[in-house]
Amino acid sequence: MEYDRILSDLLNRDEYLVVGKKTVRLDALDKLLGKARFTSDYIPKNTMTVKVVRSTMPHALIKRVDTSTALMVPGVVTILTAKDVPGENEIGYALPEQPFLNDKKVHYVGDPIALVCAIDETTAQEAMEAVVVEYEPLPAVFDIDAALAEGAPIIHKENNVAVKTKIRKGDIAKGWKDSDVVVEDTYWSPYQEHMCLEPEAAYAVPDGVGKVTIIACMQSPHLVREKVARVLGWKLNQVRVIQALTGGAFGKKDDTGPLISGYAALAAIKTGKPAAYIMDRSEVLSVTPKRFPVRFKYRSGADGKGKLTAVEVEITLEVGAYANRAPFWLWRQTAHACGPYEVPNVAVDGRAVYTNKVYGGSYRGFGNLALHFAAEQQVDKLAYELDMDPVDFRMKNILRIGSRTTCDQLLDNSVGIDKCLAGVAAASDWAKHREPVRIGTKIRGWGVGCAYHGNSTSRSTPDWSAASLMIHGDGSLTYRTAICEIGQGSPFGHAKIVAEIIGCNLDSIKIEQPDTDSTPDSKPTHGSRGLMMGGTAAADAAIKLRERIIRVASNMLDCPEAHVELRDSQAYNRKKPSVKIPFAEIVEEMHIRGENPASYGFYTSPRRFFDVDTGLGYNYAVYTFAASVAEVEVDTETGQVEVTKIWPAMDVGKVIDPLMVDGQIHGAISQGIGFAIMENLQLKDGVVTTTGFKDYIIPSALDTPEIDDTIVVEEPYKHAAFGAKGVGEPSIISIVPAVVNAIHHATGLRFSTIPITPDRMHKALKEAGKK
Amino acid sequence: MKPLTGFSLLRPPTLVGALEMMSTLEHAQPIVGGTDIIPTFKDLGSKPVHLIDLGLIEELNGIMEEDGKILIGPTTTHTQILTSKVIEKTAPALHDAARWIGSVQIRNRGTIGGNLCNASPAADSAPPLLVHGAEAHICSLEEGHWIPLLELFKGPKMTVLKPNEILIGLRFPTIAGASSSFQRIGRRKGFTLSVVNAAVYVERKDDALKEARIALGSVAPTPIRAPVVEDKIRGKKMSEELIDEAAEACVEVAKPIDDVRGTAEYRKDMTAVLVKRALREAWRRTGGEL
Ligand SMILES: Cc1cc2nc3c(=O)[nH]c(=O)nc-3n(C[C@H](O)[C@H](O)[C@H](O)COP(=O)(O)OP(=O)(O)OC[C@H]3O[C@@H](n4cnc5c(N)ncnc54)[C@H](O)[C@@H]3O)c2cc1C
Repeated sequence: MEYDRILSDLLNRDEYLVVGKKTVRLDALDKLLGKARFTSDYIPKNTMTVKVVRSTMPHALIKRVDTSTALMVPGVVTILTAKDVPGENEIGYALPEQPFLNDKKVHYVGDPIALVCAIDETTAQEAMEAVVVEYEPLPAVFDIDAALAEGAPIIHKENNVAVKTKIRKGDIAKGWKDSDVVVEDTYWSPYQEHMCLEPEAAYAVPDGVGKVTIIACMQSPHLVREKVARVLGWKLNQVRVIQALTGGAFGKKDDTGPLISGYAALAAIKTGKPAAYIMDRSEVLSVTPKRFPVRFKYRSGADGKGKLTAVEVEITLEVGAYANRAPFWLWRQTAHACGPYEVPNVAVDGRAVYTNKVYGGSYRGFGNLALHFAAEQQVDKLAYELDMDPVDFRMKNILRIGSRTTCDQLLDNSVGIDKCLAGVAAASDWAKHREPVRIGTKIRGWGVGCAYHGNSTSRSTPDWSAASLMIHGDGSLTYRTAICEIGQGSPFGHAKIVAEIIGCNLDSIKIEQPDTDSTPDSKPTHGSRGLMMGGTAAADAAIKLRERIIRVASNMLDCPEAHVELRDSQAYNRKKPSVKIPFAEIVEEMHIRGENPASYGFYTSPRRFFDVDTGLGYNYAVYTFAASVAEVEVDTETGQVEVTKIWPAMDVGKVIDPLMVDGQIHGAISQGIGFAIMENLQLKDGVVTTTGFKDYIIPSALDTPEIDDTIVVEEPYKHAAFGAKGVGEPSIISIVPAVVNAIHHATGLRFSTIPITPDRMHKALKEAGKK
Repeated sequence: MKPLTGFSLLRPPTLVGALEMMSTLEHAQPIVGGTDIIPTFKDLGSKPVHLIDLGLIEELNGIMEEDGKILIGPTTTHTQILTSKVIEKTAPALHDAARWIGSVQIRNRGTIGGNLCNASPAADSAPPLLVHGAEAHICSLEEGHWIPLLELFKGPKMTVLKPNEILIGLRFPTIAGASSSFQRIGRRKGFTLSVVNAAVYVERKDDALKEARIALGSVAPTPIRAPVVEDKIRGKKMSEELIDEAAEACVEVAKPIDDVRGTAEYRKDMTAVLVKRALREAWRRTGGEL
């Protein structure tokens, strides 16, 4: 279905009512006033506390777990270990190598071993310290080279490679022959912590025999249900999962949601008591998944005319203790390896490698942030080698309609990267800023970054989404989606789509918190699919309901269906607009006439595929594109980098709400700058040493640069409601390369490792004699 | 992070009351803003028993100018320091330092006494007070005495205070023709501890440095002075060369370590940069030219 056209034909409006307009989010006031309820707000005082006993060894066999002393601590209810897991003791996302509770072997400092259930936190803490775990230490590996070395300790399997990927496009040998310039470098992109304002929290209540209700922060209630049911050995309908408003997620809570819900649920059903598990900040930093670290070895070539000829990449992803999302993450990096450019000859080899460290997981940009950090520097370098302007060089090679991507996917709609790039170049006066400017001890420079990001699931796994809509007797509506509100506002975006199609007032829609007992499975809030997939399912539900409302209204108004217009929660005849029927009356009539007042929306993404031997195929349903220009000032005495201005542009298909697009971009700029120059997760012998806001530095409001008006490009995606594409993830991807390229412009220095902290910059300047 | 254990919070309205508690109760510890002490309970799981809140004792709070001296009560908040015209005029370095401590909330709660008694090598108010020749008034129920502020610090998070003693005042002289400057490097613009900091105090006589004092933070187990460098430049004619010489000499004085906030090498190099900037600014503030 070509949704973008269908909708505009169907609605037949000169101007949309709410789509594309700035609107105040329905949840804004609650959040502003502190009235919004997050998981901890649902947990009554004196609820049984669950704490997790975690391994203190990076790699060891578990010889014995002795809970007898701990059980004697007054106030301890029970202590659960692997033998208490009634179902499958397995919680791995992609590969079945991650026990829910470990009883044989631990793979990193932080691996869960036992759950202490006690009347309060202090008691739980005391008991936790009294649990004795006897280990037989194994040699541990803390970096990818050590893991890949011959004779390295085996973490899960021989040679420690969890998964491999590959792309072979064109003829790479010919590519090198056609190249007049070739640039080569090795890049390292480290861990990044999400630093969600809300630490993980889960609350579980046993519900009679054979049912448990869980309230927790998460990104996919149905995934949580599936994982918890498996651990409990229950059917899906025995586990009820409610997603509470989630105070920041950025991907992290897609990974932690099932874990924390599992801890609380197992404690609740084993003790028959409500149970609460709340992480503290140091636990979040020490044990929960981070952005995967990765090394790229890049070789890129171009001919004398400035056309890219070949790209060869070796990707070594460090997954840490468990593969988790690694197959999907690595595949995204592999499939996007050339950046948003057309390259005829490509060879990419990826492998994901285990180490005995905190494992990687989902994080905004899903592989593409690191990938573009490297790929966009390669492109920049080629431009400099060829003595071409970095924008002009990109423009010559940029993806357009009819281009083929890294994995040979033909782009036949919704490609607006050229407009994004042209837009930021014009807005930033790019051509005038080709020389860095010295101001006292500082040098100012300008850099550009481009990005693309496939929407929807990676590895071409089938993707679909669902939603439901119900109109009540007074004309108010309940909208249900399992796409989660994690701060980004996707469900509100859905509500706007519904309001546009039904013609109801926005505030007549209540969005239900996702609840697996009543909310259809919309699949996860990840992969830039929340609006693109979830919103299209919303549109499907709304179109169905609209048809029935129109049918009844045309009868009541005594006019052809085509003449019925719906707006302001009323129906009227376009030719005779004075007579208006409120929705309440129409709903009553719908019931009498047997028109269903509830509807279920369902949407399946077009099928995607790739060839396993070459990696070529139709990999992603559609891509979101972005470009940014960054202005930075580098203090050559102190090495401090300040990002002073960003000019952002994005091709979002169709803006559902400009405020929400800006919100995503502004947040992404901050998070991207943090990754580029500040955030530095440090580990010693596999133990995270930066365990709080004091030591793990993220940008504050004072570090936010001036942000120019967003240049919004709308190249509609033909298969999604109104043509909208995902915004949240792609918004961060171009920021890091823009900043890094600007730093190069200012200093002449290339950094193949981030963050470019003041001490690293200072050292580099010193070595280059530029201090 | 460990759960906060129970403790008693005592709020004496008088200094004598507080001193009595300090000398009679076992494991008693003062608290004012709590911005240092509460996080340590959580991070280290240390178990406080009695916390004596000094915040209600009026005589411990405020800034006064008297007989050519500035007196500062230990419970004076960084916000009070920042908004004091007297401090801005007589001890610009202390004003500079207060400007960047934590955030508005931290400055509203955190106190100068807490900052010093917490004895962090990175404490931002220490270098300015050190260069202004501050003394600390230490008092127990039995007796009180003044010591040079430098002597208060014994090591990271360690002071010379005995279990029954508290800091009840700070003082430093006001000198005509003097000025000062404080410089710091943080890992972001605000809300963060200094990676390294420095304060410089100068007295100008025409184009010469009549007096020069330099203090450095985060480059040794305690905040330190750089007397060797001070001696080198005292009495000399001010010039860019002299500034460079002083800055380079300070690098030798700094004995920093590597930690999560920065490398030792970086801290050493930055000592020179900050001292240079502070010397220049302090000199200009006296009306001196370069
Ligand atoms: C987010 C954040 C940011 C921060 N940023 C900075 C910064 O930029 N620069 C900086 O220097 N510091 C910073 N700090 C540390 C802290 O805020 C300051 O050191 C503050 O001045 C401490 O004062 P307080 O009154 O809160 O001390 P408290 O926590 O109340 O006390 C600190 C210590 O001093 C003792 N004490 C307090 N008063 C006395 C007294 N009169 N006599 C004897 N002992 C006493 C207490 O027993 C305790 O050991 C920051 C802290 C936080 C949480």
